[in-house]
Amino acid sequence: MSAQVTSTGFARFGKRPESLVDLAAEAATQALEGVGRKPCDLLVVGNMLSGPLNGVENLVSRVANRISLETSAGLRVEAASATGAAAFHAGVLAVESGRYERALVVAAEKMTDRPTPEVAAALARSLHPTEQVAGATMPALAALVTERYVQRYSPDPSVVDRIPVEARRASSRNPYAQFRTPVTEEEVRASRSIAPPLCLLHCSSIADGAVAVVVESGSGAATVRGIGQAFEALPIVDRPDLTTFASSRSAADRAFSSAGISRKEIGVIEAHDAFAPFLLIDLEDLGFAPPGGGSAWFSGRGPGPEERVPLNPSGGVLGRGHPVGASGLAAIAEVARQLRGEAGPTDTGTHPRFGIAQSVGGLASHNFVTILGEAPG
Amino acid sequence: MTEVPPAILVSRCPSCTLRYLPRAGPCPKCGAQTAVPYGLPPFGTVLARTELSSPAAGWPSPHRLALVELADAVRVLTIVDGPLPEAGSRVEVRRDGEVYHATAAPAAPAG
Repeated sequence: MSAQVTSTGFARFGKRPESLVDLAAEAATQALEGVGRKPCDLLVVGNMLSGPLNGVENLVSRVANRISLETSAGLRVEAASATGAAAFHAGVLAVESGRYERALVVAAEKMTDRPTPEVAAALARSLHPTEQVAGATMPALAALVTERYVQRYSPDPSVVDRIPVEARRASSRNPYAQFRTPVTEEEVRASRSIAPPLCLLHCSSIADGAVAVVVESGSGAATVRGIGQAFEALPIVDRPDLTTFASSRSAADRAFSSAGISRKEIGVIEAHDAFAPFLLIDLEDLGFAPPGGGSAWFSGRGPGPEERVPLNPSGGVLGRGHPVGASGLAAIAEVARQLRGEAGPTDTGTHPRFGIAQSVGGLASHNFVTILGEAPG
Repeated sequence: MTEVPPAILVSRCPSCTLRYLPRAGPCPKCGAQTAVPYGLPPFGTVLARTELSSPAAGWPSPHRLALVELADAVRVLTIVDGPLPEAGSRVEVRRDGEVYHATAAPAAPAG
């Protein structure tokens, strides 16, 4: 049974006064109206921190009640910062099974109500307990990964500083993004130190936001061609190589295996750049660049300018902002919009036939890859 | 006489020979249920390090961390006591409950 994305909805990312449930409802309502309010028989809600940050549980019931959705089934999905992608995969599996006709997948997060140290502590719950008791945070471990990558491959340092610049250039065109103004490389380098070598503008932001998509049986421009996910050892001390995310490589292999297309056919990429250097690792893990070749790929975007593949036209995690439970679905929704000609201001103008979205869960312990595109045959 | 710092207790898997820090559960590589404890010299090399100016709630700023490799390729995430060491430098590692700490150590004796 084939599944496709037929509608998307966004509640703009940033600091929002609305509650978590209201943000979810805003995105969900848009997506439902995009399919003329046809009935959905499954509601999937993706969220990571509603308990610790918002004091909200039983979230599926809360969202269903808020949008007056009569649905026969619902479930909540969590996979740290890949939650949104995990929620999408759950909806796809349900529709592909034939048991459900139409799934509304909503991913939302509300993070700006609480002080930053409290949010950082909540996010650190994604880490292994041995890392938490050492006071490690996501940025800290991302910094250690970055150091190992730089030691091995010595990428041009200006490339890492250009990643946020490109992200902001793209997100300035995205009405749903948190960051609508550009930044310069000088501003990136001069931004506050977070965890050296990472500065503030190398790191994604705490944000509120929500995304929704409708996944239904059938095929179209945004048919689900392949999904893949994989774990990797949770403690970083158990990973022999910190310059690559084995979970991304496995997830990509699984997605491409079922998609039946080659990497050359991908016409738009949304990759997870919660920390700027991760984008280089993502490009390598997805197989678009050889190991250590991420910075050359980013600079040149392929052998010749005519082969530039649009990368993170939404602005990516850096440009959109990072409501952690929603980001993974935002990447998928952007790919779907590009394929369906619904991207509006972020449209790449290249009419891609296939697109890929990649999402990193935690410190890359649980990663997801999604390939959408035209139906086979 | 200089006090000798205590060895770092680690585990060796009798099935796949992986060496790792003590933990609940089976061997992280092969799943074998038994592990053989032994001690490693409490010195290692800094693989990577960083310093948090905005640590998680409850931690002082700055909070310094180092990924250290002991002998037998056993790696440990440590809290750095003192100045931030350079990658490649030698540190002394000590265990305090569930937490490991690293401090700068003189270069290893030659020979």
